Amino acid sequence: MTAEAAIHEHFEEHVHPGASVYVTVAAFLVVLTAMEITVFYVSALASVMIPLLIILSVAKFALVAMFYMHLRYDSYVLTSIFMFALAIAALLLIALLLLFAYLSHYLWFMVPLARILLPGH
Amino acid sequence: MAAQPKPIPAEYPSYLKGDPIGWLNTIDHKRVAVLYGVSALLFMVLGGIEALLIRIQLFEPNNKFLSAHAYNQVFTMHGTTMIFLVVMPLLLGAAANFIVPLQIGARDVAFPRINALSFWIFLSGAAFLHMGWFWHHGGLPDAGWFGYANLTERQYTPGMAIDFWDIGLLILGISTVLTGLNFFTTIVTMRAPGMTYMRMPMFVWSILITSILILLAFPPLTVGLIFLFMDRFFGTHYYQAVAGATPILWQHLFWLFGHPEVYIMALPAFGMISELLPTFSRKPLFGYPMMVYSVILIAFLSYGVWGHHMFATGMGPVADATFAITSMLIAIPTGIKIFSWIATVWGGSLRMTTAFYFALGFIIEFTIGGLSGIMHASVPIDLQQTDSYFVVAHFHYVLFGGVMFAILGSFYYWWPKVTGRMLNEKLGKLQFWLTVIGFNGTFFPMHFLGTWGMPRRIYTYGAGMGWTFWNQFETVSAFILGLAFLIMFINLLTSLFNGEIAPADPWDGRTLEWSMPSPPPAFNFVTIPEVHARDAFWARKYGSTGSRASQAPAVAGDPPNTEAAEHIHMPEPSFFPIVLAGGLLLCGLGMVVAWWRLIMAGGAIIFLSIIGMAFQYPTFGQKTHETEAASGGGGEDLRKVGVWAFIGSESVFFATLIATFMVYKSRNLGGPGANVLEIPLTSFSTFILLMSSLLMVLALAATQRGDRVWQRVWLCGTVIFGLIFLGDQAYEFTSLYGHGLGFTTDLFSQCFFTLVGFHGAHVAIGVIWLSVLLVASFMDRLPKSRALSVELAGLYWHFVDIVWVVIFTLVYLMQKVKGA
Ligand code: HEM
Ligand SMILES: [Cu+2]
Repeated sequence: MTAEAAIHEHFEEHVHPGASVYVTVAAFLVVLTAMEITVFYVSALASVMIPLLIILSVAKFALVAMFYMHLRYDSYVLTSIFMFALAIAALLLIALLLLFAYLSHYLWFMVPLARILLPGH
Repeated sequence: MAAQPKPIPAEYPSYLKGDPIGWLNTIDHKRVAVLYGVSALLFMVLGGIEALLIRIQLFEPNNKFLSAHAYNQVFTMHGTTMIFLVVMPLLLGAAANFIVPLQIGARDVAFPRINALSFWIFLSGAAFLHMGWFWHHGGLPDAGWFGYANLTERQYTPGMAIDFWDIGLLILGISTVLTGLNFFTTIVTMRAPGMTYMRMPMFVWSILITSILILLAFPPLTVGLIFLFMDRFFGTHYYQAVAGATPILWQHLFWLFGHPEVYIMALPAFGMISELLPTFSRKPLFGYPMMVYSVILIAFLSYGVWGHHMFATGMGPVADATFAITSMLIAIPTGIKIFSWIATVWGGSLRMTTAFYFALGFIIEFTIGGLSGIMHASVPIDLQQTDSYFVVAHFHYVLFGGVMFAILGSFYYWWPKVTGRMLNEKLGKLQFWLTVIGFNGTFFPMHFLGTWGMPRRIYTYGAGMGWTFWNQFETVSAFILGLAFLIMFINLLTSLFNGEIAPADPWDGRTLEWSMPSPPPAFNFVTIPEVHARDAFWARKYGSTGSRASQAPAVAGDPPNTEAAEHIHMPEPSFFPIVLAGGLLLCGLGMVVAWWRLIMAGGAIIFLSIIGMAFQYPTFGQKTHETEAASGGGGEDLRKVGVWAFIGSESVFFATLIATFMVYKSRNLGGPGANVLEIPLTSFSTFILLMSSLLMVLALAATQRGDRVWQRVWLCGTVIFGLIFLGDQAYEFTSLYGHGLGFTTDLFSQCFFTLVGFHGAHVAIGVIWLSVLLVASFMDRLPKSRALSVELAGLYWHFVDIVWVVIFTLVYLMQKVKGA
């Protein structure tokens, strides 16, 4: 077997999910979106809106990435690339929000440390 | 020199042979590397002259040699040139480009055409930075290499110089990201059989990590530059306090890039040193695994320290403490590396070549720079040192004493492989000592001057300050340093014509590049080598456990094998890269002079050359490998790895845009804010985009089945849904406009339009990409065997979709959520 054929064979091993899987995923995506919109309009949910919305959008994100972008079927190398980049992107986002005093009260645990390190402040 | 077998007879013509036109359309990584190297050396002369101008001006108090304005231009261009046009191209464009494929046993990089493209884009970006020379109202950029806002705004720096700087850096950024993408994919997928990650040469490791840094650190700079562009051209207020915005945002975006950037320059230099020291000590690198982990740790930490450039901006005690801690932590892996280098040399049988001198010099000088770095990682100390000459001393010790020493050493080390000629060692040693004297004489006294309060970026100083003596001392030393470089250039030129002919393996090398003739043939390896150990070539010569030089080398090169060489298929040269880069230059020029016809012409050239390049790909979309040697990447096609790496980079790009949106939304002064956004309309858009993703996967499935009819139907559907989404967006924008919310109305509106607009632009690019595939499908050029083309377009499309998922939630559904 030539190297090329071997590579080809390897590619053929990849599972190609059928249309039914894709349609099911699409159905989930629609339902999740509908739930998001509901959360937006139902004022009773206002207090838990942020976590709910985040969970729902993460679920949509994951569904598309895993099934439509095939991360579930492809090599872990691709997943690692994406997850690492996402981690950096998320850290960057959170850090900038914190630095601009957005939600900075969540950083209460740093205050004693800062007192020790920066006695002058 | 160790016992040498007879030089390899030149069975195959070297990569340097061939007609001169071949340099314009070459896609051979070695030729591209030479192009990079030559250009960077020319810019080195330019940057060096600028440095000497600075030193002449500071030679005595109240000097009138340069005006304040000229001085600003000179120091700005000195920094910008040295970083973007000298150090980075030498490290990545030249050294990594030439060496990495040879060290991992590959015939070329993963995307040879994109590699050539990187070079030509680099060149047009470099030209762009200097364009102001030729313009009436131009002049060179003069706001520092860090271009601090709001000095860069139009009110404070009118004229075109900053525009050239801004767009020039954007262009250079494209080139660098493409390079990062290329090296990342190359190293992940194209290592020779047996070359596991833990057998890769340290230089390759450092380039792999550097590529990741590039991919994830350039986007914040790109975003920052785009904001600056919008401020200057469209009247937004990203960096102006008037609208509730803050110039500090620029500093965050710039240093989010800027600190990783210093490691983009430092890590390749570390890698070079890790090659030089073992070779000339004839010992394996000490603590290889620790070296690898340290590089990874340094890279990771380097994302979390950018605030140490901003201690003086008053970020508050919590942020200050965090950045101080992370900055100090970086010293740990750095220290590990320094000790490992020392331990590598310790007890070795040393050969005191010029390359080795520079490598040893590196250790000492770099450590001095690292120590001053740790000093200003401490906030109270930094508040004294910041913006003083002390900082100038610090970064020249790391960048010159560190990175430049590594580059100079590498010149002496790899020059024979690149040119087939040796450099003169006597001149080399002379250059080394002059460099050491000149460098330390120029920069060490800056520690004193800084401590005595001499600020950086001033064009002159008073006689009574007590700074005169050391400034004069520095200027004299700087000319000694200039002399050292002059000697180097003489050495390089004489070597080209009269240098001793280099054998294949002049240093008794350890890595695979020394196994081939100097200079190597165009296709590198006759047969792809199989790797059984770290230091692959050393192991082949002496056996993996073999002690140094006790035995005669068994093999010193690939045995000539004419039959195999005839089967090597190298990709065709291409003129598209140079044409595309020309288009980019026109586009940028059109933006600066606000002449839309030029922008359109440039855009058309870019579009057509991309199409040309894509279809020139010999196996357009097919699942075959150009390289026989793909052992990594989990067996995935290299184009897929490349697209995912690109998606990773794009994620950081969008994260930066989203972060800016959220921060500025909460700082908006008055105005209706996010509450005007309509949920029903966008819900419909969301639905459309999600469904377009479904159609996209169905198109892929049809292609994989070889079903052409449904392939067309689903592709067509995806395009139409994409167009509906864009139509929705156009409707939304016009209706917002009708409600009095224009692009520059307030802080919220400018961030909203930028973020959502950029997403829309991505959708538009996706629509164009899919339309091209649709055309290919109707031309019956999209059979089952080319399913990968559809898959790649699909990956991009779905990515744009999930970005929308995030935007829909954070921008639209969380519109009532206030920050702070
Ligand atoms: C132990 C490691 C290091 C630490 C703790 C460190 C720390 C710092 C700090 C705190 C500053 C800001 C000083 C100020 O403006 O007040 C700084 C500036 C700088 N550092 Fe480092 N550094 C380290 C290594 C490096 C390396 C390896 C490089 C490059 C190869 C580098 C390049 C620079 C540059 C270019 C600047 C000046 C930027 C500018 O303001 O124009 N540093 N460093
Ligand atoms: Cu830094």
